[in-house]
Amino acid sequence: MSGQAKGRIFPVVVISLFCITILAGLFGTLLPSLNYLPVIGYTRISLSAWFDFFSYPGIQTSIFVTLFSGITASFGVVCLAFLFISFSYGNALWKFFEKILAPVLSIPHAAFAIGFGFLIAPSGWLMRMVSPVLTGFTRPPDWIILNDPAGLSLTIALVIKEFPFLIMVTMGALGQLDIKKTLLVGRALGYSKEQIWLKILIPRLYPHLRLSVFAVIAYSLSVVDMAIILGPSSPSSLSVLILKWFNDPDMSFKLLAAAGSLFLFFMVVVSILCACLMERAVLVFLRPWITNGKRCSFVSPLKSIIFFMGCGTLFFTAVSSVILVIWSLTWQWRFPDFLPATWTLKLWAKGLMSSFDPVMTTLFTGLASAFIGLLLAIGCLEHEVAAGKTRTRNYTGYIHYFLYLPLLVPQITFMAGIQFLLVIMNMDGYWISLMVSHLLFVLPYMFIALSATYIAFDERVTDQAMLLKRSYIKVLFRVKLPMLIKPILFSFAIGFSVSVAQYIPTMLVGAGRFSTITTEVVSIASGSDRRAIAVYALIQQCLPMMMYAFAIIFPKILYYNRKGMQV
Amino acid sequence: MKSFLLIFSGVLVLAVFSQAVAKDWSEIEKQANGQTVYFNAWGGSQTINEYIQWAARQVQKKHNVRVIHVKATDISDVVSRILVEKAADKKTNGSVDLMWINGENFKAMKENKLLYGPFSQKLPYYQLVDIENKKTLLYDFTTPVDNMESPWGMAQLVFSYDSKQVKKHPKNMLDLLAFARENPGRFTYPSIPGFHGTTFIKQVLHELIHDPEVLNQPVIQSDFEKNTQPLWDFLDALHPFLWRKAKVFPTSASQMVSLLNDNEIFISFSFNPNSVSNAIKNGELPNTIRTYIHTNGTIGNAHFVGIPFNSSARQGAMVFANFLLSPEAQARKADPTIWGDPTVLDTQKLVGRDKDLFDAVPKGIATLTPKELGQGLPEPHVSWVQALEKKWLETYSK
Repeated sequence: MSGQAKGRIFPVVVISLFCITILAGLFGTLLPSLNYLPVIGYTRISLSAWFDFFSYPGIQTSIFVTLFSGITASFGVVCLAFLFISFSYGNALWKFFEKILAPVLSIPHAAFAIGFGFLIAPSGWLMRMVSPVLTGFTRPPDWIILNDPAGLSLTIALVIKEFPFLIMVTMGALGQLDIKKTLLVGRALGYSKEQIWLKILIPRLYPHLRLSVFAVIAYSLSVVDMAIILGPSSPSSLSVLILKWFNDPDMSFKLLAAAGSLFLFFMVVVSILCACLMERAVLVFLRPWITNGKRCSFVSPLKSIIFFMGCGTLFFTAVSSVILVIWSLTWQWRFPDFLPATWTLKLWAKGLMSSFDPVMTTLFTGLASAFIGLLLAIGCLEHEVAAGKTRTRNYTGYIHYFLYLPLLVPQITFMAGIQFLLVIMNMDGYWISLMVSHLLFVLPYMFIALSATYIAFDERVTDQAMLLKRSYIKVLFRVKLPMLIKPILFSFAIGFSVSVAQYIPTMLVGAGRFSTITTEVVSIASGSDRRAIAVYALIQQCLPMMMYAFAIIFPKILYYNRKGMQV
Repeated sequence: MKSFLLIFSGVLVLAVFSQAVAKDWSEIEKQANGQTVYFNAWGGSQTINEYIQWAARQVQKKHNVRVIHVKATDISDVVSRILVEKAADKKTNGSVDLMWINGENFKAMKENKLLYGPFSQKLPYYQLVDIENKKTLLYDFTTPVDNMESPWGMAQLVFSYDSKQVKKHPKNMLDLLAFARENPGRFTYPSIPGFHGTTFIKQVLHELIHDPEVLNQPVIQSDFEKNTQPLWDFLDALHPFLWRKAKVFPTSASQMVSLLNDNEIFISFSFNPNSVSNAIKNGELPNTIRTYIHTNGTIGNAHFVGIPFNSSARQGAMVFANFLLSPEAQARKADPTIWGDPTVLDTQKLVGRDKDLFDAVPKGIATLTPKELGQGLPEPHVSWVQALEKKWLETYSK
């Protein structure tokens, strides 16, 4: 068992990697927020940046909008996901979701936001579908739908985009519970299916999901790309404002940006603490309802609404992608034409030609970081399993606290600090640094995706194999991992798609030496050509989709003659 | 005799000087051979990206200098990165060798000593640059250029309108207000802070201020309210008739192009007199869009390329900057079917093949003639930007 004893190296490496980088990053932001940035002549520690921050015109509105859209979206999507599971688990819709989830998840946030924006704008596709025949509009109406000052369109888009993520995490966690038996017993006692879910299964499921829920909260509060496209503009949400300050030609705004991003971090922490309090409150106030023994359900009328909303998220995601395809083939398209007046392949020809190198960089970085992420994740999980068996200290247990840090701390808060450190150590602009910076975000998601199934693996199989062949490594590689190939490839695909989507780390750590498809998308999106934006966004979307397709198809081919592996 | 001697010695000095320049230059070209230049420039336009690719191929062929276009979303990202490098005391091997820059970013780089130093006078083609008539080539948003950046192109605020929707375009700001009243929701400007939005309010101020002369001086806080009152009165009157009743502003000038194409707005503006012609050619805008400027002129400026202090390929960067100034590159850039960015050269100085290159540049379908465009109004002193942005945010961003 020497392999298992050495296994603790994995969690130790991971924990130190995560702790050091994030603490260093935070420190690099803390100093400028305290007015200390010698390079532009600020050397006296003071709180003036914080005063400037709180007296910035419109800052209250900005903070309020951020809180409103972030918290409403998180709360909404959690409720929607739980109710959706309760109503639809096991039915045809659920099975359809299982199949469609991977491609839906692989759509990058920015690409979705662009498509969604074009769908719902007053001059958007929905309006074009009904104009001028039904509405009489030959010119788009002057309505506030996009970029509304209250951030509603942003909130809705966040719900749509986060919903499949929560469903995926839930699907992963379902393996931890014996759903079928619980449902059977519950039904025998006369409870309806939804009631069993809401009263028994969800409360037991929640502990497995809570970190993902926190990640959703953190993401919704600190989202940048979607907020630029769909969020309010004057004032914009806090994360966008911070980005503007970071990029202001007037260098003294960097201090303001540092203070702002720490405040954003503070908002995330407080929101998560509030979520913890809410968990307690739910526990206290809903316990009587859970144990009241009543069999009638007040939630049933909600059923059709929830179905409608669940399908709505799919519909909007799908149509947002379709719209991108149409734009990418457009030459001229004006309101109120339902389809473009002239079509072309020119934009694709140009886009494909100039995106070859960035696509290659993206592929290599994504594959490398997902591969290393996989090694680390499996190493940590093996250690956890082994520690469980031998009842020794489980270092991987600590990982859960640290691994989520990069998802909880707003990227913008600590990446700037990391960039500074890398430059000092002369390590910026190297591919290896770039890859490791991606790993910070790749690993947590891979861990989320893999851990539940991995831990739930029936260890009796490995024990049996060990009896036959006393080599831990051989058993791991020839029995256990092949049996887990599906979740492993799936988490690999998730890791890859997370790497593909990284923008801020690529820009800050890569020092402009590496352009990925995402940096290309973001830079072309700063221009006006929606057709080119669509082409690049679709290329960006293709990469993860291919990886997901591989993750689905490869095990099927590999085990076409193994009945037990077909499920 | 005396004057002859004077002229003779003058010629001699000039000859010696230009020979020295030539010698220096051939030395620079020699050192540049084989260097890789990371050219950081905004990458939001495929047209411009393709032009940069073309120029990179030329210097690769002619001088064996490899130019890599690092596409920035916003050049201030790049300024930040150089600042970080300076803070980390990285004096050589900086990540940026040449960057597309002007205005506030240039000022920030100059003030924080992030630039390499005077170099543009060393470039042979700099002699063709029209510094006599184009004052903005010496004062970038009123910051003295001091040869620390090399001119690349000219810009001027130009309004665009859909001639199908607007029969008679406005001729000044009051006309524009009248247009907005008649066509509520069909005009807007990008949010502030932001280059294009700020330029629009600078233009308004220029047209409405009692004494435009004060704009050339640094802002005097005590007079700011009084001087800018006509601007705020104008905006107060305009905002209720703007797109989305001024509750939403476009995030960028790029978004304005989409809005114009979608018929959401009828009047837009850009900073390149040829951009509309180019967009029509690209299919991005319909061919009913035309451009105009206000009777008393519009704000104009120039854009440049600069070398950061820690570039280790500065000779290569200079060779590329020099090529960008060549009549060949400038004429191609001025062609609206390729990019349409106005030249910084004095085309009067050109002879022979160089002149033919410019004569062959077609006039864009929606482009005004140089005469119609006029000289362009000077940018207000750079201190106005922050004062105006701050006041705008306090008044309208709540």
